Amino acid sequence: MKTISVRDLKKYYKIYEKEPGFLGSVKSLIYRNYHVSKAVDNISFEIEEGELVGFIGPNGAGKTTTLKCLSGLLYPTSGDVSVLNYKPFERDHKFLRQIALVMGQKNQLWWDLPAIESFALNKEIYQIPSKKYASVLEELSTLLEVKDVLQVQVRKLSLGQRMKCELIAALLHTPRVLFLDEPTIGLDVVMQKKLRDFIKEYNTEYNSTILLTSHYMDDVKELCRRVIIIDHGRILYDGSLDEIVIKYAPYKLITVILHKKVERAQLQKLGKIVDYSMPKVTLSVPREESNHVAAKLLEKFPVKDLNIEEPDIEGIIRDVFAKGGK
Amino acid sequence: MFLPKEGNNMRILRIFLLHVQHIFEYRSRSLIWFFISLLNPLMLLLFWKGAILQNNGAGTTLPYITSYYLLLVVAGAFLTAHVEEDVSEIDIHEGHLSQYLIRPFSYFWFKFFEEIPYRLLQGLYGVIVCAIFFSFFGQLFVFVTDPFQLFLCVIITLLAYFLSFYFKMVLGILAFWIQDIRGLYQVIEIVMLIFAGFLVPLELLPPAVSHLSFIMPFAYMIYFPVVSFQGKLPLDTMLHVIELQCLWLVLFVAIYQIMWRKGIQKFTAAGQ
Repeated sequence: MKTISVRDLKKYYKIYEKEPGFLGSVKSLIYRNYHVSKAVDNISFEIEEGELVGFIGPNGAGKTTTLKCLSGLLYPTSGDVSVLNYKPFERDHKFLRQIALVMGQKNQLWWDLPAIESFALNKEIYQIPSKKYASVLEELSTLLEVKDVLQVQVRKLSLGQRMKCELIAALLHTPRVLFLDEPTIGLDVVMQKKLRDFIKEYNTEYNSTILLTSHYMDDVKELCRRVIIIDHGRILYDGSLDEIVIKYAPYKLITVILHKKVERAQLQKLGKIVDYSMPKVTLSVPREESNHVAAKLLEKFPVKDLNIEEPDIEGIIRDVFAKGGK
Repeated sequence: MFLPKEGNNMRILRIFLLHVQHIFEYRSRSLIWFFISLLNPLMLLLFWKGAILQNNGAGTTLPYITSYYLLLVVAGAFLTAHVEEDVSEIDIHEGHLSQYLIRPFSYFWFKFFEEIPYRLLQGLYGVIVCAIFFSFFGQLFVFVTDPFQLFLCVIITLLAYFLSFYFKMVLGILAFWIQDIRGLYQVIEIVMLIFAGFLVPLELLPPAVSHLSFIMPFAYMIYFPVVSFQGKLPLDTMLHVIELQCLWLVLFVAIYQIMWRKGIQKFTAAGQ
């Protein structure tokens, strides 16, 4: 079953450009120069129920705009968007009761009151039965380890505790579709890991459909089997994380530690030298030749240690952006 | 649109209570704002007292003018919603509206029930001021006595609040189209000072201006609730005021609905 379906979605903004300086201001009184910014430009994709998809791209790529269109905050310029068979922008209350949007560092919690007060408000707003509310709150606050801070004023919580409470506020009604926009931004690595574990667990337990944007590749690598790469409002890649490596990195990296110095020229015959800092050398070789080259290295050179690796995913994605998905 | 579509008492109560807790966190701020709003009517009261004593009545009486300005303190506090800046600056321009839109409850009613605790608290301060004054100078206080008229006063006051709230919401959502809207709010405030009766009782204005003020909606937000509580309006005039308030309300509801539907398509959720 398709939970999310996006066809030819466009979201354009008309942006006013002011010339610099005082003269520019005077000119703008009479004539204003506008240009159209294509935040999202004709994208299409579908997401099945229970999928956890990573939406990645540089700043201004169109990730957040897409999430906002999917959650009904933005009115699309054109195209069809369907989430749980609803048109998000109509913001039908039955639809809103089944989704949640969490935006890193933006909060729906009341700053001056304890988080538990905001949770109680959401209980009424989402009409969550008392029994369910109590059990979900107990479960989420235990999982996220914030049980002891629920009665503390939100302004006095740490960033990590606040983010966890934000997540609880967004998940109390156990949404079927969850949009997470940079959920781990600004958190330390330990907290990032905890949040990732939690998202994974939530996805498994509730079979919820999750669309996640993140700048941290660790989030995507650990959570998502499928990624959608977007840049300048267009989708550059949509597929599994494993395939992206095969498609955009048709090479592997062989790192050897040598007993004694070997000339660069000798190694160059086997592959492209990526790093030459004796006794360590890293070669980039075509994927299908990697075993053969490794065997040759072991046979003909004084190898102390040898390691074959997939190239770094961040690097591959940088390449995808640089090549514009070609 | 006169009542929440999915009227659920617990939801409304929770929104209300949350904001009551919030104003308790900032209780001194609320009191300071009340004292600021108290200054203007009290200054005018002193001015009128001087004018009446020196000019043999100046077209009015001291009990009338005293009760007018004291009731004005209560009406101003109870009935003047201050949502427009929150709606325009925080919700629309800073994008906080997203947090409302994502939840299954009407934005309008969210704001409506968020505002009520502030109005009640401010109004309560006003009632306390009036009660203190009444205990010392009861003879200078003119107040409605007939129970049916009192009932109509309550209706006029409720309609006045709805009118004021819808008007301020319309001003707030203008921010979908206008980037810097504070200048317009200043102008509206001045217009309201004159035509809602904050400065001078409207019947004491020059005839043309007085007539104009009754054509505009502002008198129905402040002036008429005040003079009706003074017992100054005959029964048929009170009923006519209610009719006109209903007409203005229907107009404001329609304007708000149309503007909201158009404006929300322009919302960019910037910064959120």
